[in-house]
Amino acid sequence: MKKLALGCGILAVLGGIVLIIVLIAGGSYNRLVGLSQGVNSSWAQVQNVYQRRADLIPNLVATVSGSANFEKSTLTEITAARASVGQVKMDLNNAPADAAKLAEFEKAQGALSSALSRLLVVSERYPDLKASAGFRDLQAQIEGTENRISVERGNFNQAVQSYNTAIKSFPAVFYAGLMGFAEKPYFTASTGADKPPQVQFDFNKK
Amino acid sequence: MKFFAGLLLAVFALTAFAGEVLPPAPAKYFNDYAGVVAPAAAGSLNQRLEQFERDTSSQIVVAVFPKLQSDSSVEDYCVRVFNAWHVGQKGKNNGAVLFVFTQDHKMFLQTGYGLEGALPDVLCKRIIEDEIKPHFKAGDFTGGLTAGVNAILAAVKGEYRGNGRTVTQNNSAGSLVPFIVFIFIFLLFALSAVFGRRRGFVYTGFGTNYGGGWSSGGSSGFSSGGDSGGGFSGGGGSSGGGGAGGSW
Repeated sequence: MKKLALGCGILAVLGGIVLIIVLIAGGSYNRLVGLSQGVNSSWAQVQNVYQRRADLIPNLVATVSGSANFEKSTLTEITAARASVGQVKMDLNNAPADAAKLAEFEKAQGALSSALSRLLVVSERYPDLKASAGFRDLQAQIEGTENRISVERGNFNQAVQSYNTAIKSFPAVFYAGLMGFAEKPYFTASTGADKPPQVQFDFNKK
Repeated sequence: MKFFAGLLLAVFALTAFAGEVLPPAPAKYFNDYAGVVAPAAAGSLNQRLEQFERDTSSQIVVAVFPKLQSDSSVEDYCVRVFNAWHVGQKGKNNGAVLFVFTQDHKMFLQTGYGLEGALPDVLCKRIIEDEIKPHFKAGDFTGGLTAGVNAILAAVKGEYRGNGRTVTQNNSAGSLVPFIVFIFIFLLFALSAVFGRRRGFVYTGFGTNYGGGWSSGGSSGFSSGGDSGGGFSGGGGSSGGGGAGGSW
């Protein structure tokens, strides 16, 4: 009789412990889902601002090529860079899980960034173009879009950081992998950092 | 615990940007930290911007600094300051800040997400180049900022509807503090009643005497001073980097 009571007691305690674990895990799971969705929504914003930039380019090319004898090579470069951006197919709604895929996306967008900034530098040599209202408007739009890109990339990295911190923290670290929460990649270089620097030092030279 | 410590560190690392200090949220709508605007004009611009929030709920702030206190670019710095100040209403994100750095000869008109429609980058650029810059070039900050504020208000007007109060007034009038205090005390009494009863005590009339007494005391004590509020408080809006800048 006493043994039975003891057994019941142990069972109740074990049951209680299991219940607590399930509750904690459930809450933690929901939190991870929320963080993961946060990463996805900031990824959608990133896609959004990059798309905005891509949409500006046909207009820019049309405006600039209207200017007398504008450097054709700069324009070809921009058009090619925009086309290669379109080649990199990314999932619009889900943040990339693969670091290589994100790096590929970044490389294509980075090429477009540097082609665009080169065009803006080259346009300094065309006073009639610079003075036109249409070009000034486009320039403002491009600059604004570049700012938005850097903000949304920052927000994305922040969301990824919260998520990665959460899946690597106790107690989620024990079961996050089992539940399919894998670490997500960050944007690495900041926008514009992939541009070649103007001055290069050769440190290997004696 | 470890997670929170990590998160705190992460947030700290993100906010502490290479040792730069973001300016604290301004107390007014029109803030001349550089002392370049005639005080009378600054006062009337401040009043207009405050009234504008009452009418439209959009928060337009002007901040004139003597110098850019950062190593990063103006556009990068301004968006972080904007988001630290939470300009614009929560959910609407209808804020805009005109930053001026007099010694650097730079300015930036930063828009919140919700004003990107009323103040697209192109319009921001036009306001800066056509309305403000000519005055600034002549050294007339008062005229330039007045023209700039006029143009911004004209563009933003009609985009959102206000409820006749500013965030500052809403905060002081509709503060949650008395409500939370009341709930807390109510729970305390409810718990003590439950536990008391188990031990054989019975609190008779706890609902009428104690509850009534506290609730009236709480609400009357805290809600006074509701409409004395003036000045600027950020409503919780954020910016995604929209706007345009210029130099003179």
